[in-house]
Amino acid sequence: MELPELAARWMNALTATAYIPLSHAEIEQVLLDSLVELPESPESVANRLVSLHATGPDSLRATIEVLSPTFELPLLARLSSAYAQAMRMDAFDQQEQIKVAIVRAKQRVERTLKVSQARFREVFESAALGIVITDLGGRCVEANDTLAEIVGLESGADLNDRDLTDFYHPDDLAALGAQYRKVREGHLPRFRDQRKLIRADGEPVWVYLAVSLLRDADGEPTHHVTMVEDISELHLLQRSLDHQLLHDSLTGLSNRQHFVTQVERRAANDPITLYHLGLDAFSVVNNGLGHETGDKLLKIVAARLGKLAGEKKAVLARIGGDEFAMMTVSDNVTTTIEEIQEVLGEPTFVDDHGIALSASIGVVDRPPVFATTAELMRCANAALRQAKARGKRQWALHDPHDDARRRGRYALAASMPGAWEHGELEIVYAPVHDLETREVLGAVARLHWDDLSHNDTMALADSTGLSLPIGRWLLREACAQAARWVQEFGDRAPTLHIALGALQSRDEDLVADVKRALDETGLPPERLRISLDISSVLAGDDNAVVLHDSGIVTALDGFHGGHDELAVLTEVQVRSVITRAPAPSPDSPLYQAMRDLIATVHSFGVRFGVDEVHTLEDAEYWRSAGADAVIGLLPALSADEVTELLTAASQPPEAS
Amino acid sequence: MSERMSWVPEGVDTGKPSAARLYDYLLGGGHNFAADRMLAEKFLQAQPNARTIARLNRAFLRRAVLFMMDNGIRQFLDLGSGIPTVGNVHEIAQKADPEAHVVYVDFEEVAVAHSELILEQDPRATIIQEDMTKPDAVLKAAGESGLLDFTQPVGLLTVGVFHFVPPQADPQSIVAAYRDAVPAGSYLAFSQFTQDLQPEEMAGVVEVMKKSQNPMFPRTKTEIEGLFHGFELVEPGIVPSPLWHPEGTNTDDPDKAGIYAAVGRKA
Ligand SMILES: C[S@@+](CC[C@H](N)C(=O)[O-])C[C@H]1O[C@@H](n2cnc3c(N)ncnc32)[C@H](O)[C@@H]1O
Repeated sequence: MELPELAARWMNALTATAYIPLSHAEIEQVLLDSLVELPESPESVANRLVSLHATGPDSLRATIEVLSPTFELPLLARLSSAYAQAMRMDAFDQQEQIKVAIVRAKQRVERTLKVSQARFREVFESAALGIVITDLGGRCVEANDTLAEIVGLESGADLNDRDLTDFYHPDDLAALGAQYRKVREGHLPRFRDQRKLIRADGEPVWVYLAVSLLRDADGEPTHHVTMVEDISELHLLQRSLDHQLLHDSLTGLSNRQHFVTQVERRAANDPITLYHLGLDAFSVVNNGLGHETGDKLLKIVAARLGKLAGEKKAVLARIGGDEFAMMTVSDNVTTTIEEIQEVLGEPTFVDDHGIALSASIGVVDRPPVFATTAELMRCANAALRQAKARGKRQWALHDPHDDARRRGRYALAASMPGAWEHGELEIVYAPVHDLETREVLGAVARLHWDDLSHNDTMALADSTGLSLPIGRWLLREACAQAARWVQEFGDRAPTLHIALGALQSRDEDLVADVKRALDETGLPPERLRISLDISSVLAGDDNAVVLHDSGIVTALDGFHGGHDELAVLTEVQVRSVITRAPAPSPDSPLYQAMRDLIATVHSFGVRFGVDEVHTLEDAEYWRSAGADAVIGLLPALSADEVTELLTAASQPPEAS
Repeated sequence: MSERMSWVPEGVDTGKPSAARLYDYLLGGGHNFAADRMLAEKFLQAQPNARTIARLNRAFLRRAVLFMMDNGIRQFLDLGSGIPTVGNVHEIAQKADPEAHVVYVDFEEVAVAHSELILEQDPRATIIQEDMTKPDAVLKAAGESGLLDFTQPVGLLTVGVFHFVPPQADPQSIVAAYRDAVPAGSYLAFSQFTQDLQPEEMAGVVEVMKKSQNPMFPRTKTEIEGLFHGFELVEPGIVPSPLWHPEGTNTDDPDKAGIYAAVGRKA
């Protein structure tokens, strides 16, 4: 995606999460600058976001969502952690300010209000920061429980009359003493520092200190105020900001980012095993019983897996819609798999619906220590896909050989952006044939690159995050071409069919993109057929419905005849479904089943199309089974070749 | 609590939640205390959209100030200005014209003290601690500040504050007093919660705030129209906050904006 477009998206996403006091154009400019700067310095981009006040609870998530297709994960991880850091500093500054404001308020207010000691103590005690008031000699006058907890004491009172310096590291005493003095003597309004404290049990703890001065009504210094923030990691995880960053809000489990850091920590030293779980047929629940039920079910699953993880001392996370990940140490894989299926298999009742659950599981067992965490996660994911391909309740162990093949593909994927930029991706048009009349019904626009098929090219594009921009480009270019044909050849111009990839099918901008393509190219809507990846509809996306309501004829691609898919056909109005399958020869036992399936589809008023049918024999099988149309009988042609054919066909013989 | 905390300032009760700090929290600010956040959580339970409502209200404030600047206003009286957070009126106005003057008014101690800190270095802006339902006292102090010239048009801002003014305080006569103090060509920007949008949630919010220091009083569109007596409403009149002169195409659901916004010009 072009940077300005990305900046515009980012702006839209951010302004919905936080109030940023600038015009949209200004925000967009700042974000555009940030995009340019991001690869070099994610840290300064993070600081800028915080100073812009893009600090709503969802601002970081929105940012990562917008940027993740375009930028590498490690870069985004740096951005996230710098952002968290900048947020902490900002929160710290604000707490400082408000504290100063309180003191000011008291000095200025003439009216005598009744002090509510109890209430003030409540604030003092419930502050997220440790606070201690020391006299100018460094003796604690008052400390809150938060501070006591940080230094390993029972309550704030335990600090009374103790020297705060008791808790400083001996090496820091001189430097800190000098800083306190500067504040007391007015050379510095306050100082902040990152230091190690020594807890009562002798353990060190990293903290931020912020030290400022209290003066009496005459302006004479009386006390130091030291605010202490525990920044040791364990503590950070408990803090809510970090909690939000590291946890999934629905189930409360760790999120992917958190999981990855935990894996990172363990993988180097321990024989770990990763399990990547995908719930089977979860979309059926979501579609059939609604998202709320789906959410409840996810919570139940999270709780059950959580219990199991607790028993096994495993680390558990929810890392995607219906996907969970678990890490164990020194584990027996088959036992664990059985245990997982067992806890999932317990009958589950949600809103009076009894639901049987199972998961497909990808496993990476005791990976070599030099493997990066990103690689491990990818391998586990690949194994999960394999398991899924085998059916429900299956599991697969990561196979390193298979991975090498994939890596070849990744190399190809890496060269794709360049190829696209240099115009090496071509659009070709494959005829769609009516099986009954044998007429050409239209042309499917497809990608062609090197000797890769459309589907392979799209799959590659998916893995690079390019499929959306490429899909949009394909949509527009093909519409423009089809519009030219309509202009030149009128009714004999082929109807344009476009098959969208999975990502584009559920892109929220899809409907707008289609409308824009039609508007800008002048292609009449009835000359366009859009086929959406059926997974998007199964996942509850409403693009198909909206397109239909906008008068655009749609099809669902990737139809397998599953129960959930048939259910969808009763709800969403589409013209046809498209499948890819071996042709049903009449003597095969599957023939009757296929006929029945096609008849069922027809009974919903939906046509049945088949892609990748390359021989007349296969086409004939399909025809006899009841299918309506096939793609693939003739090779795809370039736009110029199609134009030539149309021209030749329209030339009346006598005129030549 | 027998033991006295020697350093705690007397006379300031930060243990009671305040509307100013509640709003700061909803906007994502850090100038708030546990008590404020507890109230905020209850508020959010009653009206889950509260963060968005706060953001939209603050954004309306910005657009209204810029609209007035476009129409020649260079001095503002901001009634119920709140804790200085993001996009304060003087920052918005002075970015467009560094000569713009702003007088803030709020009655909450910590908000006022905090504003003072922020405004210390700015000779063209100040804060007055006063109850905005007492126009005489406010106008007197504003006059004494030397920052406002009441012979020139003034931008009056009552944004997100009238829902704290009970009917018994006679809101109509309060607005009228400010209106009479400024010349023709002055503007009034106004926003407040309404029960016309999401009545159930609104009732919940009223319930939550009832026992707080800042009980709330939503108003209907008709009631708000009454407050604009003597002003001509600028197009599009009284509308849910995101619909008032939206920047670009509005994508926020007006039905969930909670707050009506409007700007009027004194004829
Ligand atoms: C929700 S904030 C609005 C802040 C700002 N005007 C905005 O819209 O972004 C409301 C402020 O009005 C103040 N307030 C409420 N009633 C008031 C009164 N009678 N006099 C002065 N200030 C008042 C509160 O202290 C609080 O700071």
